[in-house]
Amino acid sequence: MTSDALLLLGSILVPAIGSVLFFAGFAKDEGSLKKLGYLVFGFPCLAAVILFLRFDGSDGYNFEVLYERMGLQELGITFHLGLNGVSSPLFAMAGIVGFGAGLAALHSGAERMHLYLALLALMQSGLMGLFASVDIFFYYLFHEFALIPTFIMIGLWGGRDRRSIALEITIYLTLGALISLGGLVALNILVDAPKFDFPSISAALDQSSLTDSAAFKIYGLLLLGFGILVALFPFHTWAARGYDSAPTSVSMLHAGVLKKFGLYGIIQIASPLLPDAALSWSPWLMWLALGNILLVGMVAIAQTNFKSMISYGSVMHMGYCFLGIGACSVLGVGSTVMLMCAHGLSVSLMFLLANFVRKRANTLEMDEIGGLGEKTPLLACFCIAATLATIGLPGFGNFWGEFGVFLSLGESNEHQIFLVLAALGIILSAVFGLRAIAKIFFGQESEELGKHAKESTISDLSRAEIIPASLILAALLFIGLWPASISDRINNEISDRYSHLQLKSTFSKPSCCPVDEDVSSTETPSSTSD
Amino acid sequence: MISIALSMLFLPLLSAAVTLLFLRKNGNLASLLSVSTAGGILVLALGLIFSDNPDALAWDTTWFAMGGWELRFGFLIDAPAKLLLFIVAFVGFLIHVFSLGYMADDSARSRYFGGLSIFMFSMLGITLADNLVMIFVFWELVGFSSYLLIAHYFKTDEAAKASRKAFIVNRVGDFGFLIGIVLTYWTYGTVNLSELADLADFSPSLATTGLCLALACGFIGKSAQFPLHVWLPDAMAGPTPVSALIHAATMVAAGVYLLLRIDFLFTEEALGLIAFLGAAMGLYAGFCALVQRDIKKILAYSTLSQLGYMAAAFGLGAPGVALFHLTTHAFFKALMFLGSGSVIHACHHEQDIFNYGGLRKRMPITALTFLIGVLAISGVNFLSGYFSKDAILLWAYNFNMPIFVILYAGAILTSIYMFRLYFITFEGKARSKYAEDAKENSFLMTGPLIVLAVFSIFGGYHSLYPIQLGSYLGPDLSAVSLLPHHMWMIVLGTSAWIIGLLVAKAFFSKVLQDDPLARRFPAFFELCRSKLFFDELYQLYLSKIQDPLARFIEVMELLFISGLMVRGAAGVAALFSMLAKLCYVGKIHAYAFWFILGTLGFLFYAAGFFGN
Repeated sequence: MTSDALLLLGSILVPAIGSVLFFAGFAKDEGSLKKLGYLVFGFPCLAAVILFLRFDGSDGYNFEVLYERMGLQELGITFHLGLNGVSSPLFAMAGIVGFGAGLAALHSGAERMHLYLALLALMQSGLMGLFASVDIFFYYLFHEFALIPTFIMIGLWGGRDRRSIALEITIYLTLGALISLGGLVALNILVDAPKFDFPSISAALDQSSLTDSAAFKIYGLLLLGFGILVALFPFHTWAARGYDSAPTSVSMLHAGVLKKFGLYGIIQIASPLLPDAALSWSPWLMWLALGNILLVGMVAIAQTNFKSMISYGSVMHMGYCFLGIGACSVLGVGSTVMLMCAHGLSVSLMFLLANFVRKRANTLEMDEIGGLGEKTPLLACFCIAATLATIGLPGFGNFWGEFGVFLSLGESNEHQIFLVLAALGIILSAVFGLRAIAKIFFGQESEELGKHAKESTISDLSRAEIIPASLILAALLFIGLWPASISDRINNEISDRYSHLQLKSTFSKPSCCPVDEDVSSTETPSSTSD
Repeated sequence: MISIALSMLFLPLLSAAVTLLFLRKNGNLASLLSVSTAGGILVLALGLIFSDNPDALAWDTTWFAMGGWELRFGFLIDAPAKLLLFIVAFVGFLIHVFSLGYMADDSARSRYFGGLSIFMFSMLGITLADNLVMIFVFWELVGFSSYLLIAHYFKTDEAAKASRKAFIVNRVGDFGFLIGIVLTYWTYGTVNLSELADLADFSPSLATTGLCLALACGFIGKSAQFPLHVWLPDAMAGPTPVSALIHAATMVAAGVYLLLRIDFLFTEEALGLIAFLGAAMGLYAGFCALVQRDIKKILAYSTLSQLGYMAAAFGLGAPGVALFHLTTHAFFKALMFLGSGSVIHACHHEQDIFNYGGLRKRMPITALTFLIGVLAISGVNFLSGYFSKDAILLWAYNFNMPIFVILYAGAILTSIYMFRLYFITFEGKARSKYAEDAKENSFLMTGPLIVLAVFSIFGGYHSLYPIQLGSYLGPDLSAVSLLPHHMWMIVLGTSAWIIGLLVAKAFFSKVLQDDPLARRFPAFFELCRSKLFFDELYQLYLSKIQDPLARFIEVMELLFISGLMVRGAAGVAALFSMLAKLCYVGKIHAYAFWFILGTLGFLFYAAGFFGN
């Protein structure tokens, strides 16, 4: 095993071991707890960044770890880790967000801190594992490792209505996970693949006689299951309520990273394996995605609570991801992966900052804050940057993802209606994002804030707060200023798989433009004008 | 060559980053850094403009590639880019220097100068970009820096609202622009400006009115044209040098520059529409400016009106003339905005012109340079505005009579409201304590005024321009010089400003605290004050449509999705659980019974009783 593969394995094992240590009550005093926390959450972050930089950019898996004999090989299950062009940026994102969430947890002053950290570290281990898994069984298993602590943590440390919300989110997400598991198992059984991982299913699919209607049903199952997990309209109501109530670190990890599980499953497994079914489902998917963008976007405008607004906003932006997947092209899907990365960073940054605001203003009701910018200029600065990142300002990663998705929608004539309607989202998100900034930071100090300021001094960000926020912001800027750093590897990885899809798509989409390097002036116009 | 362009582009970004990271608390150093950066940009820009390579300079590298799409980061430094580059660098530098004086006692100077640097970066990006997507990227970034700088005095509600309004209204324009870019790519297969120009030449049938109007939405938002003009007057809530730089000389003019960059895509219908919209804005904004009391608002409406002239020139097929007017306008409008800044600074941030008066004696340099700006914009013979505006008027006279009539009426109005502003502010007696105590500002502020005044006088002699700057203007302007009715236009143009001067003299040379127009023509005055109710209309949309709709959808979501679907599903589950609960009666016999029943069922199943 190479040292890189060891790093990959370590980024999963270190938080897992850390979780056990926290659970066993190691590091009693404050100082050593912090040190252990920095190690447990810092190591995956560092490893993820190193592996991101060391990725060789080709297609296929890097840094592979393979244990054939797990006792499950009879079922075709092996422990197989590795990163490819799609998972490498997401893995890095998971590491960075995890570090931010870990730091936020260490400084949160939560009750029963050891249990809190143990669950969070378990979650982190699962998140690193799910993007690193090649084997579909472990991909799913790691997802559960990350998901189950979410329920417990919302139930124990959540805000208002935490019990009922924890129950709702548990039922909803378990259902989603179950349906998608059903789809995955059905796929594996029907194509009779020797191993339960993506390459073998893909290879077996070529020889199997999977009927179109079976493929259509399986894709539908996967889409429904994954769609619930990603908060596809109209299965999104758990998300806003859940994030609203969840403790900050959980919101960050769930909304930022864990929610990408479903999209990742569609992009890595469902769409490339079942391209025809993906095309048949795409109109349904895209209309629902518009529901995310327009309806949930409007709901976000109606929010008066900062954290609810962020929650609805994050659900809204999932609509762009689904549109990119629905476009069924290398450009659309690749941009979706970029948007997933950027969205994970930006939304977790927003949740982190919302918590900083709450600590200072003692409330998240935007009407009761006002004029905070004068007291906390640095926090205002971070908040403005993060908000503008989420609303897709160029310079931050989200812009490239959204722009690529819009661009992919222009390709075929049937999709142009989605382009026009979805682009309305850039106005909607500017409306609620800037409204929040203006209400919280601009204007005169509100009465409530003044009263609160008398009781306790309101100070600007401390160093422990600046570090995670600026780390995430730096990652967003990195993608925004140098998109090729991640777009190239994504492109290399998916171009083969999705050009295969496009090849088939020409049967059902005659008006589609050829997406070759040399789109010549004479043939493109003819294909769009008819 | 390319290293010059690159370092010029990234110098201000670096300066902003250094300010943000290290100089947040050190306003003096931050302002010095920013001003020297602007100076550096000017030097590099001049080096770039006067470099050996006289023709278009293109360079590019891959920025973002996915599927068949490839975006390249490249520069297209041709004649119009060089001219705008000169304006941005030169006017930008002067305004930076002016800001040193104007913002000297501001506690948040670091933020201000950091914002200016970000703006310079973004504006240079628009100027040099060689493709539509890059233009869009920097387009949004100028919008962002404009947002940041309008919100400079963020404690006031006015600034908080205006900054948001500016960004969102611009986003509405960008919505169309974005769709236009996507459609352009799928129509032509490229977004590179030079390649687009070739393709449009090669197959003109590809151009559609819808496509170019979608692209023109970007211009309408950024240049604050009808119906997205409402943000610009409000944007005056920002510091005055910002208004001069962003909301008069450069950023709002970038909309016109965008049109020039893609003029080959435009169809006759689209051009006609833009010409008409521009001319209408020229007149409409003139009426609005006539009745304002706030010195900056008057100048803002005047900017709207002049942008309308540029759009009209572009729409009538004379992009060179439009760029020429953009150039002269940048000089004299920046001059007047800085002049108003000088007045505002001297009068302790009093902005109502009826509280000024008699400032000519107390602030002679400001008054004189401001007068030069007024004369230039009114089109007084042989000053810069005379040449550029009369070129537009003459062109319209020969090609489109209705538009000429609108523009000519606008020209008379321009001279009326400008002389009104001058008389009320600088002549007569002081009407407030601040105006009595006003003193001329330091050389940091008057110096830029003098330089800009010189350019406002001589900026109209385009034959004096170096070949690198003037070559884009040449063809259109020589076409203008060959047009008939030249003498007639000189008579008309001269009479326009003289009429304006006389009217303004009659009405406004001796005023008190209230507007004489309101007294003599109350109905007309109120009509102009209403600005045709656009702001009210948008406010109505916000309060009566958008917000109620958002709340309605929220309620619907709660009712149908959360309520019916989720709770409904939970209810079904609860029903099953109730039925299941009936089996758990708590008696061991009952459990034994269920156990046996289950085992039997399993056995039957295994034996194939239920069919297989």
